[in-house]
Amino acid sequence: MNKKILLQLTKRSTFILIFLLFISFVSSMSLFQKAFAAEEAPAQTSKEGGVAAPGVELPQFDASVLAAAPAAVAGQPATGTGTTTAAVEEEEVGPVQYRTFFGIDSRVVVWIVSELHLMFAAFVLGVPIFAVIVEIVGFKGGDIKYDKMAKEFTKLLSAAFATTASLGGLLGFCLFGLYPEFMGHMTNVFAPTMYVYALMFFGEAFTLYGYYYSWEILKGTALRKWFHIMLGVMLNLFGTGLMFLTNSWATYMMSPAGIVPTTGKVLSLYHAMYNPLWMPVNIHRLIANVCFGGFVVGAYAAVKFLGSKSEEEKAHYDWMGYVGNFIGVGALIPLPFAGYWLGREVYSSSPVMGNIMMGGAFSWTFIVQAILIGMLFIGANYYLWLGMGRIKGSERYTKFIKYLIFVIFMCFAVWLTPHNLPLSGEERAMIGEQYHPFSKYFGVMAAKNAVVNLIILATFFSFLIYRRSNKGELAPFSEQGRAGKIGIFSAVIFCLLMLVSYAVSLNFVELEANIKSFVKPLIGALYIQSFFICFAAFLTFKNKGKLAQSMLFAVTACIAVLYFWYYGFQVMQKANLVLRYLSVTQVSIVMSCLIMNAIIDIFMFRKAKLVGGIVWGKMPVRSQYALILLCVVIVILMGLMGFIRSGLRMDWHIYGVLQDTSQWAYTPTLSYMGRIVGLIVALFLGLVAFVFWLANLGDKKKSEKAEEYEDAVVGYEKH
Amino acid sequence: MNKSMLKITAFAIAIIGFYIYITIYVTGLSGTGGGESVGGVSPEAGEKIFWGDGQCSTCHKIGTSGSATRGPDQEGLSSRAEERAKELGMPSGLDYMVESILEPEKYVVKGYDKIMPKVFDPPIMLSREKILAVLAYLQTLGGEPDIASIMKYKDKIPEASKKKVKPWVSPIVVDAKEGEKIFFDETRPVTCGKCHIVNGKGKKVGPELTGIGAIQTPEYFLESILTPSAKIVKGYETMYVITTDGIPYNGLIKSETENELVLLKEESGEIEEVTIPKTEIQEMKKQDVSIMPGNISELLSVKDFYGIVSFLQSLK
Repeated sequence: MNKKILLQLTKRSTFILIFLLFISFVSSMSLFQKAFAAEEAPAQTSKEGGVAAPGVELPQFDASVLAAAPAAVAGQPATGTGTTTAAVEEEEVGPVQYRTFFGIDSRVVVWIVSELHLMFAAFVLGVPIFAVIVEIVGFKGGDIKYDKMAKEFTKLLSAAFATTASLGGLLGFCLFGLYPEFMGHMTNVFAPTMYVYALMFFGEAFTLYGYYYSWEILKGTALRKWFHIMLGVMLNLFGTGLMFLTNSWATYMMSPAGIVPTTGKVLSLYHAMYNPLWMPVNIHRLIANVCFGGFVVGAYAAVKFLGSKSEEEKAHYDWMGYVGNFIGVGALIPLPFAGYWLGREVYSSSPVMGNIMMGGAFSWTFIVQAILIGMLFIGANYYLWLGMGRIKGSERYTKFIKYLIFVIFMCFAVWLTPHNLPLSGEERAMIGEQYHPFSKYFGVMAAKNAVVNLIILATFFSFLIYRRSNKGELAPFSEQGRAGKIGIFSAVIFCLLMLVSYAVSLNFVELEANIKSFVKPLIGALYIQSFFICFAAFLTFKNKGKLAQSMLFAVTACIAVLYFWYYGFQVMQKANLVLRYLSVTQVSIVMSCLIMNAIIDIFMFRKAKLVGGIVWGKMPVRSQYALILLCVVIVILMGLMGFIRSGLRMDWHIYGVLQDTSQWAYTPTLSYMGRIVGLIVALFLGLVAFVFWLANLGDKKKSEKAEEYEDAVVGYEKH
Repeated sequence: MNKSMLKITAFAIAIIGFYIYITIYVTGLSGTGGGESVGGVSPEAGEKIFWGDGQCSTCHKIGTSGSATRGPDQEGLSSRAEERAKELGMPSGLDYMVESILEPEKYVVKGYDKIMPKVFDPPIMLSREKILAVLAYLQTLGGEPDIASIMKYKDKIPEASKKKVKPWVSPIVVDAKEGEKIFFDETRPVTCGKCHIVNGKGKKVGPELTGIGAIQTPEYFLESILTPSAKIVKGYETMYVITTDGIPYNGLIKSETENELVLLKEESGEIEEVTIPKTEIQEMKKQDVSIMPGNISELLSVKDFYGIVSFLQSLK
C-alpha cells in the first residue's frame, strides 16, 4: 500500500519538477535581462544622483517657453539637456513586439488559456478550504459520512491539480511567446516573487498529494487525524499564498505602483505587489473560489445522483449535492459585498477606469452579470424549496415560498433595470430629459444596493426555514449551557465591534460641513441596529429566539432596504460623496443581521425535538438540474467577470504604463465576448467531466472486481 | 455516453446558448451592433465614448448628467453650435463642432479656459471613427444626428497619434505615493489637501483634482503650482471686496445670500472664512488672481515638488 502511494507521489512530483524547471528557466531569463539592464543602470543612477543633489532649483516657469515648446504634447516629458528626462528621450525605444499563434488572434489564445487555468485554479484553491472544514466536522462529530465526503472532494482535487498546472505552464509559454515585451516588463518587476511562487508550488503539490494519499494511513488515533488535518491546513495556506502572489501580478497590471514608468525600474517591489487593488481582489477571489468550488462539487454530485443505480448511492450523492449547494450559497452571500469593495477601490485607484466600468463601455456587462447572479439566487432558492420535500414537517413552511418568489423576482427586475437606456433624439425630446422618467429610479445605485440586500436577506430566510423544516418543540435556552451563552455573546460583541467602530469612524470623515450632515443618519442607523442586536440577544436568553430573529429581519429590512433606498436617492442628488459610506453602512447592517440570526438559529434549534427525518435521495430529478444550472452559471459568471476585470485596462497591458499597440487593442463587443466566454465554459466543463471521469476510473475497476468476487463467492456457495 | 449524460450535456449547452443569446441581445440593445468591436459612427457609440474613452465627461456635463464644470455644459449644444456658426460666418454648426475638436483653442467659449486637449493626441488618442461617433452624439444634444454629413469630415479628422506614449518622468527619482502623502500632510506649512479634493479626500476650496492626470499634462501642473494665477479654472476666480470701512478682502465666494457674503481668503497658507454683511460692501469685482499661494516653490523641497507633480500625473 505504502509503496503504491510512494510510486504515485513520485510520478506526480516528476511532473511538478518539470513544471518548476520551466518556471525557473523563465525566471533565469529575466535575470539575464536584469543583468543586461544593470549595465545601463549605474549611469542612470549617477545622473539621478546628480540631479537630486542639494542646490538644484525648481524650474522657473515661463509660459512663452512652454507655448513654443514642440514637446509640450500631453503625456510627453519636458526636455532639457543634462536631465534624466533628456537622456530618456534620446534612447531609442524599440517597438512593442508581438507574435501570433499560427496566425490566430493572440489575444483570444491567451484569453482562453488563462481563463481555463483560472477556472481550474479556482476549483483547486476553493475545494480544500471546505474539504478540511468537512473533515474537522466529521472528526469532531464522529460521523464517518463527513470524512468520506471530504476524501471524495480531495479525490476530485488531486485530479484537477495536474490539469491546473499543465494549463499554467501553457499560459506561461503563450505569454512569453506571444507578448514578449510585456512579459519582459513583468519579469523585470516581479522576478524575485517568481522564485517564491515556484517554492510555494512545491509546498502546494506536496501537501495536496500528501493530504490525499495519507488519508487512510493517518486514521486511527486522534493525533494522527490532527496531523492529517494540519496537512490540509498547510495545503490551504500554500494555495492561498500562491493565489495572493499571482493576484499581485494581475492587479499590478490594473493599478501599477512602485516603478519608474519609463524605465520600468523597480522602486519598491512591496508597492508593486501591494498595489491598490491587490487586497480587494484577494478577498473577492478567496470567497469566489469557495463559491465556485461548492457549486462545481454540487454539480458533480448531481451528475452522480442522476446516474445512480441504488438508493444508497442516491442518498449519498443527494447529501453531497446539498452540502455543495450549501457551501456555494454560503459563499455567494458575502460575495456582492466583496465585489462592491473591489469596485469602489477601482474607482479610487482610477476614476477613469471606474467610469469605464460602471458608466462606460462595460456598464452593459453588469446587466448580464445581474442576470447571471439572479439565476444563481433563484436556482439556489429553488433547490432549497425542492429540498424541503424530502423533510417531514416542512409543510408548515411551504406557505412562505410564494412570497419569497415574489420578493426575489421583483428584486431581480429592479437589479436588471439599466440606468441609461439609449434614447433617440426624438424619444429624448418627447420625454424631455436624458433618462426615462420612471425606470431611472430603479436603475441607479441606491435602488440596486437595496434590492441586492433584500435578495440576500430573502435567500437567508429560505435557508432558515429549510433548516427548521423538521424541527419541533424547542428546548429552553438555559439547556444550551455555556456554549450557547458564549456563542450569543461572541456574536453580539463581533456585531457591535463592526457596527459601532464604523459609526465612530464616520464621525471623523473629512467632508465639507454641508455634506457631512448627510453622514449623521448613517451613524444613527448603525447605533439603532446595534441596539436591536443587543435586544435580540436579550430576547433569545428569554426563550424568545424566533421573535428576536423576526425583529432583526424586520429592522434590517426597514433600515438597510427601505430607508436606505429612499435616502440613497437623497444622497445621490445632494451629497454624492456620502454614497460610499452609505453602502458600507448598508452592508454592515445586513451582515450583522445575518450573523446574529444564524447564531441564534444554531443554538435555538440545537436540542429541538425532531418531527420527522430527512429522507436523503428522495429528490425530484429537476432539483439535480438546478444544481447543474448553478454550476454552469457560476462558471459563466467567472468568465464574464474575468473579461471585465481584464478589459477595464482598455488598450493598456499595464494601465498607464505599457500600452497595447497590437492589432487586438480594442474592446470586443458583448456578443463577441459572449461567444468566447461560451466557448471557454464549454471547454472547461468538458475538461472537468473528462478529468473527473478519469479520477473515477480506478474506483469503477475496484467495484467491478468486488462485484465479480461476490458473484464468484455466491456461485461457489451454491455449488 | 448514457442517456442521463446526454440530457445533462444538452442542458448545459442550452444554458450556455441562453447566455450567448443574452449577450447578443444586450449588444443590440446597447446600440453597438453585432460587430467585432465597439464602434461605428452612431450617436449611441458616441455617447459611450463621451462618458468613457473620450474622457469628455471629466470636463463637460450634459444638463443634469455629470457634474464637471471645467468646460461648458453641453446641453443643447447642437442648436448653440448653429448660432455660433452663424456669428462666425461658418457654413454649419457641424463645422463649428469639428473645428472645436480639431483646434480646441480656436473658439473658446467666453468664461472658460484653454484647457481642452487634442483628443487624437496622447493620452486620449481617440481614433478617427470614435471622433466621428462623438460628433454624431453631440448632434443629438438639441438636434438630430446626420451621419451622412458627419462622414464628409472623415478626411479632415486626423487619425490618432501613433507616437508611442512615454509617460512623464520626473528629473529626479520620486515616488507618487510619497507625493500623495505630502499632498495631504497637514503638518507642513502648505497642504494641497486643505483646498483640493482627490478621490473624496480633502476639502473643496479649489477645483477637484480627481482624475486630473487623465486630462492634463505635467507642464500644466508645473505651471499651476509655480504660477497659480496664469490659468484659473472657471468658477474659482477671486473676488476683490472693499468694505465701507475701507478694509480690502481678496478671496473666493463660498456663499452669498441677500444679506451677506461669505469669502474664503488665504492667510499664511491657511484658508479662513470671512462673513461680510452686504450693507458693508462698498465695492466688489472679480479678479484674475488665484487664491492659491504663489510662493509654494519656496515652501517645498525639489523632491516634494516633483513628488506632488508625479502624484497628480498618476490620477488617471
